[in-house]
Amino acid sequence: MPSTKARILMMLFEHPHQFISGQEMSDAIGCSRTAVWKQIKELEKDGYRIESIPKKGYRLKGTPNRISPEEILAGLKTEIFGRHIVYEPSMPSTQKRAHHLAEDGAPEGTLVISDEQTEGRGRLGRTWHSPKGTGIWMSLILRPKLSLNKIPQLTLMTAVAIVKAIKVVTGIECQIKWPNDIFYNGKKLVGILTELQAEENQAKAVIIGMGMNVNLTEQDLPDDIKKIATSIQMITGKPCSRAHLIQDIMKQMESFYHFYLEDGFGLIKTLWETYAMNIGRIITARNVNGQVVKGLARGINDEGVLLLEDQEGRIHRIYSTDIEFNG
Amino acid sequence: MLKVQEIRELIKLINDSKIDEFEYETEGTKVILRKNRPSEPSPAAVPVTQAQAPVQAAPVVVNPVPADSSVQPNQEELKETRVDSNLHKIISPMVGTFYAAPNPDAEPYVKVGSKVNPDTVVCIVEAMKLFNEIEAEVKGEIVEVLVENGQLVEYGQPLFLVKTE
Repeated sequence: MPSTKARILMMLFEHPHQFISGQEMSDAIGCSRTAVWKQIKELEKDGYRIESIPKKGYRLKGTPNRISPEEILAGLKTEIFGRHIVYEPSMPSTQKRAHHLAEDGAPEGTLVISDEQTEGRGRLGRTWHSPKGTGIWMSLILRPKLSLNKIPQLTLMTAVAIVKAIKVVTGIECQIKWPNDIFYNGKKLVGILTELQAEENQAKAVIIGMGMNVNLTEQDLPDDIKKIATSIQMITGKPCSRAHLIQDIMKQMESFYHFYLEDGFGLIKTLWETYAMNIGRIITARNVNGQVVKGLARGINDEGVLLLEDQEGRIHRIYSTDIEFNG
Repeated sequence: MLKVQEIRELIKLINDSKIDEFEYETEGTKVILRKNRPSEPSPAAVPVTQAQAPVQAAPVVVNPVPADSSVQPNQEELKETRVDSNLHKIISPMVGTFYAAPNPDAEPYVKVGSKVNPDTVVCIVEAMKLFNEIEAEVKGEIVEVLVENGQLVEYGQPLFLVKTE
């Protein structure tokens, strides 16, 4: 049961341009009008700007620069994805928290969000720069009834869903670098890290971590990262609502997820190839041991595996790698 | 609204794909793409498959005979089976890259001689950036590591031998 304060905030977000009277709120929530007034004052202390006019009621005029679960929930168009939000202003890592929650039985669709990660991480223990209030750092818990060899396709599905959501909300057309990094003009915008909790040959939980640079500016990025990364605001020149992006990512993911469970990988594969940036180009794939395969990226197969054709015409199946262009 | 470039992309993709019919609808716009190709038989495909068949079959013959043969065992074989049954194989649940350590600079999760519990993480298998932490699932001691860091492992391939307690 959400707190009175959370429910008031929800109502304000659900009626973005209207006044709601204190009476209406107290009736809906089942508390006194004084209690409503007290919580409005609390919200103002949190940084929400609320206009209050006698006989008309309250209206939300401005929000602090933080993600609030209430704002996300108020405009969320999903059945289960993102319906249960675990939010804290700062967390070491949303991925780590989601792992613990999944082990404790958190339901499918649970979304862990933070405004700042102090130990954000990426692939193979690499760190992910996630400064306060500028990006979307979140992890989604799924519980698909799939055998383990199918799960990697969910990472490609996630990339397709996010590319679509970014297009819908901002108009930006991004590209996917195999398997699931999202780029704009050769610079990284979104990283996705998928992890698994398995038992025998079945997935118990899949945890999809997403890091998206939204309102970072050049000043927020260290010099070494500036060369390789970008943000929505750096592309469009204006800030973008993180709540709207999260709402649409959840919506796209949920619809692709249902599609995938019912009809398989076909549509996702086609869309993935539409968005892919390295197909049809000469690329260099390097594995952890430094072994290198150079060749023409032919596409992906029905499992999502990258097919690389070398100079002798042999096809290499690439399962994991760092991709370089024309390297 | 779809842009001309997007429709062009769609046509190209559908053309390259095995999809015969494609329908797409979005606010007020509907695109239907249909391929009218007669089902062309591919005469090349059949002989090629036949020619390849014996080559593909060869490795199967080379496969070592499994030790735990179920054929009427004599005394000695029985003993061997008993030793083997103490050794638990941790197998890979999927195709992917085997990582012995959480990151390139870290110590491996386990080595020969490491004691493990059922929930001890012994390695990671990764495919397409999906990271799967593999647990020992038995209590015992690692007696052999069967694969190398960074190696591609197949579905069902043994990764470790564990002497169970």
